[in-house]
Amino acid sequence: MDTRRRVPLLFAFILTVILLTGSSYAIPPFSRQYGTSCTTCHVDFPKLNDFGKAFKDAGFKFPKGDEDFIKVPPIMLGAPAQKELWPHTVFPGTIPGLPPIGLRFNQFFQVTSGNANNYNLASQSTGPYVPRTDFEPGLFSIFMAGNFGSDIAFWVDDDLSVSGSNAGGGLGDAYLRFVNVGHYFKLPTDALTVKVGQFELDLPFTQARSINISPYDIYTEMNIGTSNQNVNNQFAMQDAAQGIEFSGGHQYGGYHYSLAVVNQNTSGGAAATPNNVSSPAGFFSDSNYKDIYGRFSYRFNLEKDPASRHEVQAAGASGPRDHTYLSLGTFFFKGRSVQRFSETSGDTTNLLTAREPFYRVGGDFSFNYRTFNLFGLYMYGHDNGLLLNEGATGFGTGPPAKFNGGFLEADYLALPWLMAIMRYDHVQSSGDFLNQNFLNPTGGNYYSPVGSTRDRFTPGVQFLIHANIKASFEYQLRPKQALTYDENGKAVNPFRTNTATGALEFVY
Amino acid sequence: MKSTFMMVLAVVAMMSLAASAGTISGKVSGVNGESVVYVEAVAGKTFPAPTAKPVIDQKGLMFQPHLVVVQQGTTVEFLNSDTVAHNVFWPSVGGNKKLTHNMGTWPKGEKRAFKFDNPGAVALLCNVHPEMTGYVVVSPTPYFATTDKSGEYKIENVPDGSYTVTAWHEGAKNQSKPVAVAGDSKADFTLSK
Repeated sequence: MDTRRRVPLLFAFILTVILLTGSSYAIPPFSRQYGTSCTTCHVDFPKLNDFGKAFKDAGFKFPKGDEDFIKVPPIMLGAPAQKELWPHTVFPGTIPGLPPIGLRFNQFFQVTSGNANNYNLASQSTGPYVPRTDFEPGLFSIFMAGNFGSDIAFWVDDDLSVSGSNAGGGLGDAYLRFVNVGHYFKLPTDALTVKVGQFELDLPFTQARSINISPYDIYTEMNIGTSNQNVNNQFAMQDAAQGIEFSGGHQYGGYHYSLAVVNQNTSGGAAATPNNVSSPAGFFSDSNYKDIYGRFSYRFNLEKDPASRHEVQAAGASGPRDHTYLSLGTFFFKGRSVQRFSETSGDTTNLLTAREPFYRVGGDFSFNYRTFNLFGLYMYGHDNGLLLNEGATGFGTGPPAKFNGGFLEADYLALPWLMAIMRYDHVQSSGDFLNQNFLNPTGGNYYSPVGSTRDRFTPGVQFLIHANIKASFEYQLRPKQALTYDENGKAVNPFRTNTATGALEFVY
Repeated sequence: MKSTFMMVLAVVAMMSLAASAGTISGKVSGVNGESVVYVEAVAGKTFPAPTAKPVIDQKGLMFQPHLVVVQQGTTVEFLNSDTVAHNVFWPSVGGNKKLTHNMGTWPKGEKRAFKFDNPGAVALLCNVHPEMTGYVVVSPTPYFATTDKSGEYKIENVPDGSYTVTAWHEGAKNQSKPVAVAGDSKADFTLSK
């Protein structure tokens, strides 16, 4: 790969890293509606505290006596007494008294290590083609959330512009959530809630609303097979999905489950092999087949006082605080990715489509003590790898494409406005290595791994200038990479291209 | 005969008392909303603490009432009427940070009491709802008043004498001035933030 291609690649990568975290939000509409600070629900926005989790679970409402806290009365779309006339009238609901709109803007400044110019040296070019420092505009986003009464919550967010480009963004989450519908079936309170629309999967630790500048590597990992596999699965766990989700329990204590049925993710579809063609446009999914995602977790609140243990927040000696807890969970995603072969035989071209099964499975934990939170996740990915049979009339089983990895993160809120972060990301994928380095005669891409395993350490610190303004800094100690490999496949002069990134964002 | 004598004595005593107790009135300007005016401590004089216990409620993520003025030594009760947990703490009393105190967390419907033995303004805060704020102004004497909407105030039953009178307003700098009370006295204040 020559330098002219590498430089845009570098920027594309960095921009991707930055913008993949672009859907993180705190919710000013709720501040306005309830007359309360961001810190009522957030530790370090957008990370939720226990009360914020309960508020979300309840359908963006206070868990008890919500109407006592609303400072801007909602507009009634029918008198409450109309309920008695139903089904002979429209069931009365409400809309928020103020337009429930929040806006967010962020921007970045980054410093890339001089190693990035190793690529220039390799191609005999002169001059630094990769700038060491760079200002980056980020996102300008709009988001709306609230409750329509009758325990129907809503959320819509959209990036109006990305990286200084108008309309460069897109729809994030957009859904209606019918909270506690289980009571119609005599189920325990909050045992069943239904969400319909486009949404982030119920990941153990959200990517869309993460406090980190760079995303979790395992969430962005797509499974791209090597040349002897027919695997070009563009699905990543962080992707928004369209479908329906059933969930129940609470995020602040006890059990929690979710089960989602979502479209096949056929976005992308760029050819991984010459015979692989992209999927047709016009539908989010070109298949009746639906993917399934499930998650179950249990959180053990560890307060000594049993009364406090079952409350939304623990009763600390100096005020309410998050519980000391241990949460354990597991998740599973089962889907099919679209793989196509265009096979020419004489004058005839056959287009064969394989619905290639794949799954992702993993486990997670989170331990919290006061303002210290240690959490981690491990995930294993497996794609079947269907190959054309001998007659090119169908598919048979080929070598599967696999990867695994996860992350471990420690967040410590040293002061109410100061968060220290240490993170470790790990991904192991022989496909990534073979595709981009050893078997690639022109050398590897930027930031491609020097081996099957790549690790990243990311210390960070964040400052709340105000409850709605944040300065974040992150130093990414990237995995080793190399330009050339010897005849044994060993990397020659491997190096790291680390990046320091600062972000400034505000919501209002 | 004896009862008549006692009556005359009582009337004379009341008249003499009325003659020696005056008022301090005036206006606090430069600020909007309720201000507090109180007589500073009088050397050599102590005043018995009232037995009444004012209540400050935490309701709808607000301290209600927002401002309470009490005499030094008064016990104030803090009620939580919200379905969410609160705590009450203050970073100082009259600017003295050594007097910071945190009353902890308590559930809905319960009260906790605190006796304010030190004079000065006390900013009430909640550490999980930082927008919540209320004030207890602790007057060292029983001679205090709050202003009306126009800033007017009147402190009654102040014995004749020379005092230092202080005006307080949320977010403004205190202003003190000497006032000689002999009957009705006037003292106006102009506060600034």
